[in-house]
Amino acid sequence: MATVRLVALALVLSAAPLAAHDMWIEPSSFVPETGKVVGLRLRVGQDFLGDPIPRDPELIDQFISVDSSGRKPVYGRDGTDPAGLVRVTDPGVVVFGYQSRPKPIVLPATTFNQYLKEEGLDAIAELRERRHQTSSDAREVFERCAKSLVRYGTPADAQADRVLGLTLELVAERNPYTLHAGQDLPVSLTYQGLPLPGALVVAMNRAKPMAKIMARTDSKGRVTFRLPEDGVWLIKAVHMIPAPDGTNADWASFWGSLTFELKSSATGVAAK
Amino acid sequence: MKFAIWRILAAISLCSASSFAHEIGTTRVSVVFQQGASYEIEVVTDAAALADKLQAVSGQAPQSDKTLQVQLQNYDEVFRRRLTIAFDGIVVTPEIDYSVSGTATETSAPVATIRMSGAIPPGAHEFAWTYSWTFATYSLSVREPGGDNETTEWLEGGQASTPISLVSPRRPLSRTAIAGRYLALGFTHIVPYGLDHMLFVLGIFLLSRRLRQVLAQVSAFTVAHSITLALSIYGIVSVSPKVVEPLIAVSIAYVAIENIFMSELKPWRVALVFAFGLLHGMGFAGALKELGLPRSEFVTALVTFNMGVESGQLAVIGAAFLLVGWYCGRRPWYRRIVVVPASMMIACTAVYWTVQRLSF
Repeated sequence: MATVRLVALALVLSAAPLAAHDMWIEPSSFVPETGKVVGLRLRVGQDFLGDPIPRDPELIDQFISVDSSGRKPVYGRDGTDPAGLVRVTDPGVVVFGYQSRPKPIVLPATTFNQYLKEEGLDAIAELRERRHQTSSDAREVFERCAKSLVRYGTPADAQADRVLGLTLELVAERNPYTLHAGQDLPVSLTYQGLPLPGALVVAMNRAKPMAKIMARTDSKGRVTFRLPEDGVWLIKAVHMIPAPDGTNADWASFWGSLTFELKSSATGVAAK
Repeated sequence: MKFAIWRILAAISLCSASSFAHEIGTTRVSVVFQQGASYEIEVVTDAAALADKLQAVSGQAPQSDKTLQVQLQNYDEVFRRRLTIAFDGIVVTPEIDYSVSGTATETSAPVATIRMSGAIPPGAHEFAWTYSWTFATYSLSVREPGGDNETTEWLEGGQASTPISLVSPRRPLSRTAIAGRYLALGFTHIVPYGLDHMLFVLGIFLLSRRLRQVLAQVSAFTVAHSITLALSIYGIVSVSPKVVEPLIAVSIAYVAIENIFMSELKPWRVALVFAFGLLHGMGFAGALKELGLPRSEFVTALVTFNMGVESGQLAVIGAAFLLVGWYCGRRPWYRRIVVVPASMMIACTAVYWTVQRLSF
């Protein structure tokens, strides 16, 4: 099992913002009552500070909700924030997933090198060095693979996270809504359905986004985080591969994220 | 490989219209210049997202007990740190007014409208803008001073805008103005810039002093070059300048050499001049394409350019007649002293051009 390190970063929205931005789903409530409408806001940013992204049908590959009743599309009004609106009538944990279509971006060499470093994409940095590309601009296509766990009502039985089949997917292997602060949350990371070993996974709390917890996945693509505090959590990972031939890009990246709320005092299902 | 290439290809096609950038967010910035004296900039953005960022950068404790509008007002100094408004590279400090409307619900979010205003420094030419309070792509719309046109640029947070000119854009030219302009362009394409065309026309003039013979040649030449000028401009005929330019030089050499051996207009000479006119017309078309034709007054420009070319040629003939033809034309030595040496000089120059144009 990979070791968990606590890393506090002193940088606060530094003068030169991070080269690459995370993307995550921020529901209007993580623990709504059954029958209530929840707005699913898509956010792009860093350090849990994000800008809303309105619903763009051109970008959406899949925007879905999955619960015990099955898989359904998430609806919303194009061009508006929140990008998705849902109402769930049965108690339980609902998994929301957003998979974007690939979007191209061109980054200057220094920005791209910096971003590889920040996201722990060491293998790609080495590959670029071997190819003598460290001073060339990078043409990249990126895909967003965001998930969010929302608990409706007070479920008697708590189904944990589910596998949605996103290209890059973080899966909470225990139900966070049954956890207390200080307990371990094992998380698996898959790329195209297969475990992704050696990838950097970062967890941050909305209230203290600078106190990041980072770990690399083990050979089974798994990390375990001991989440020290209650609050809204974002777990994220980035994977990159050389872009396939004929794509007019050098690199293809995949941005996985998982959001949920840790509520030790919750009256829901007792912690196991 | 499960990795679907078509998805990436699809992405490239769908993004070709906009940007190679991040996702487009909800922030919109609009700029209006008031009669070159003052500016007004309005930023519309998600109020809570902005307040969160301001709080993080300020390093202060969250002010969650205060309304978003008060929070934004309190962070005024922080907000100004990541904002640049500059005229001719000189940063100005705007008045800023913050207001927030709407409330946070499941389906909506409060919106901040930030109005910045101030005076434009006298004599300023350019406006530049940088805004670093968004992680998403945003739009900057600028209403041109004195015009109804609005230009929109998509920018990343922290990215400097393309400098925006404060000078009023030129009004579209009237038909008369375009006609005058292309008439002048056509004329100057012959006098003084078109030495090769001038020599060709002189060659025509030197053959015979008889008005009828000059007119016959000039008319054939004019009709011919008008035809190919129009056909080339409309793209019906297309011959590479690499072919046309050396042939123009050959045509000048031919006319000049013929002048040395011939003193009367033969019918084939008119036919040849017509054929050469076709060549020169393609040359004029090349020049006109380089100058560009206004889309709105395409025909006006084409016709007036041709008329300009024509007047240039007539001016050359007129000047030649006044200088030598009028006085020397009837002298017995006119051919020996004027026509032959001048034609020889023209021929030599044209042969030199032919070689030069073939080798480049």
